[in-house]
Amino acid sequence: MDALLIELCSPFQKASTFVIKTVQGTFREYLFLVHLQKENAGLKQRIAELQKENDQMKEMAIAHERLQKLLQFREKISSSVIAAEVIGQDPSSWFKSVTLNKGEKDGVRKGMAVISAEGVIGQILKTAPDYSTVLLITDYNSAIDSIVRRTRAKAIVEGKGENRCLLKYLLRADDVVVGDIVVTSGLGGNFPKGLMVGDIKKVDKRGHGIFQHAELVPSVDLTKLEEVLVITESSLPIHEEKGKKGKKVK
Amino acid sequence: MRRVFLPLFLGILFLTLQTTLLMSLPIQRIRPDIVLILTLYLGLSYPPISGGILAFFMGYLMDLFSGNVLGLYSLSRPLIFYLAQIFKDRVYLEGFLSQFLFVFLSAAVEGFLLLILFSGLNPSPLGNLYPLLFTVLLPQSFSTALITPILFPLFRRGSLFLSNPKGMRIRETG
Repeated sequence: MDALLIELCSPFQKASTFVIKTVQGTFREYLFLVHLQKENAGLKQRIAELQKENDQMKEMAIAHERLQKLLQFREKISSSVIAAEVIGQDPSSWFKSVTLNKGEKDGVRKGMAVISAEGVIGQILKTAPDYSTVLLITDYNSAIDSIVRRTRAKAIVEGKGENRCLLKYLLRADDVVVGDIVVTSGLGGNFPKGLMVGDIKKVDKRGHGIFQHAELVPSVDLTKLEEVLVITESSLPIHEEKGKKGKKVK
Repeated sequence: MRRVFLPLFLGILFLTLQTTLLMSLPIQRIRPDIVLILTLYLGLSYPPISGGILAFFMGYLMDLFSGNVLGLYSLSRPLIFYLAQIFKDRVYLEGFLSQFLFVFLSAAVEGFLLLILFSGLNPSPLGNLYPLLFTVLLPQSFSTALITPILFPLFRRGSLFLSNPKGMRIRETG
C-alpha cells in the first residue's frame, strides 16, 4: 500500500520539484544575468575609458615626436623663428591657404616665410593682430625663386593648385632629371637660401623655346599641416647637405 | 534686425565649419560649400538690398580667409544671390531633385565665373586650368548640391521662426 501511494504521488512530486527547480534556476540565472549585465556594462565603460586614455597617449606621443623634430630643426637654422599652429584651412577648393594662430602682435608680417622641418610651406599673405593667413606654395598665386640643388640651375617654383608645383623659366640647356631636389635660392629675400622645396617628378623637354618644363612635388604634405615656423628674420643661409643625384630621364 | 544678424552669424559659423570640420573629410575634393547654400537660400527668401549686402559680406569673409587676393568671392557671391533672385519665382524648389539641380548648377556657374575671372585677371598666364573642371568644380558642386536638401528645410524652419516665433511655437505644440 505504501509503495503504491509512493508510486502514485512521486510523479507529482517529481513534476513539482522539476517546476520549482526550473523556476528557481531561471530566477537565479536571471539574477546572475542582471549582475553580469551590470558587470559587463562596467567593464565596457572601463575599456572605453582605457581606449580613450590610450588614444590620448598615442596622440601625445605623435605630437611630441613632431614637436621634437620641429625643435631640432629650429635649433639647426640660424634665423629667428616663431612657432605657430594651423587653426584653419582655405574655405574654397580653388585656392590654397591656411590660417595661423600667430599675428602682428607676435611679430608676424606680410611676406614672411613659413616653413616646417620638411621644407617650405609658403609665405604670409594677410595679417591680423592675433592671426595670419599663409599662401601655400601650391597656390596659383605663389612664386618662389629656387635652384636645383645638384646642378644649381635657377627656376621659379609656381603653384599648380593640386599638391604640385611647376618649375618655370628653367633653361633648356640646364641638366635637370627626375628626382632632383629643388631648394630656395635666397634671392627673393623672404626665404633663407637652401630650404628644401621639393623634388622633381616630371621633366618635359619636348616642344620649342628656350625653356623646359618640370613638375615638382612639395617636400611637405600641405594637406596635413599642424605646426609651422614663421621666419621673422633670416640672417645666414641654411647649411645644405650634399645633393643626391637623381634618375636620368629617358 | 534679427533677420540680418542671424544669417550673418550663421554665415560666420558655416565658414568656421568649412575651414575646420569639413577639412577633416577623408576626400578633400568632395568638400561641400555650405556658405554657398546659405547665400542661395538668402537669394530665394530675402529682399534684394539686405540679402545682397549679406551675400557680399559672406563673399568678403570667404576672400578674407582664403588665399585669394583679387576679391573674387566678394563679386561672385552677390552675383549668385541675384541669380537666385531672378529664378526664385520661376523654379519649384520643394523636392530633392529640384533643390539638388538648382544648387548644382549655381555652384557650377560660380565655379566657371571664378575660373574665367581668375585666369583673366592674373597678370601671368596660368596655363591650362580646364582639368580643374573635373578635379575641383564637379566634385565640389556635386557634394554641395547633395547636402542642400538637408539644409534648405532647416533654413526654412529658421526663417519661419524668425518671422513669427509665436506662430512657430503654436504649430509645434499643435
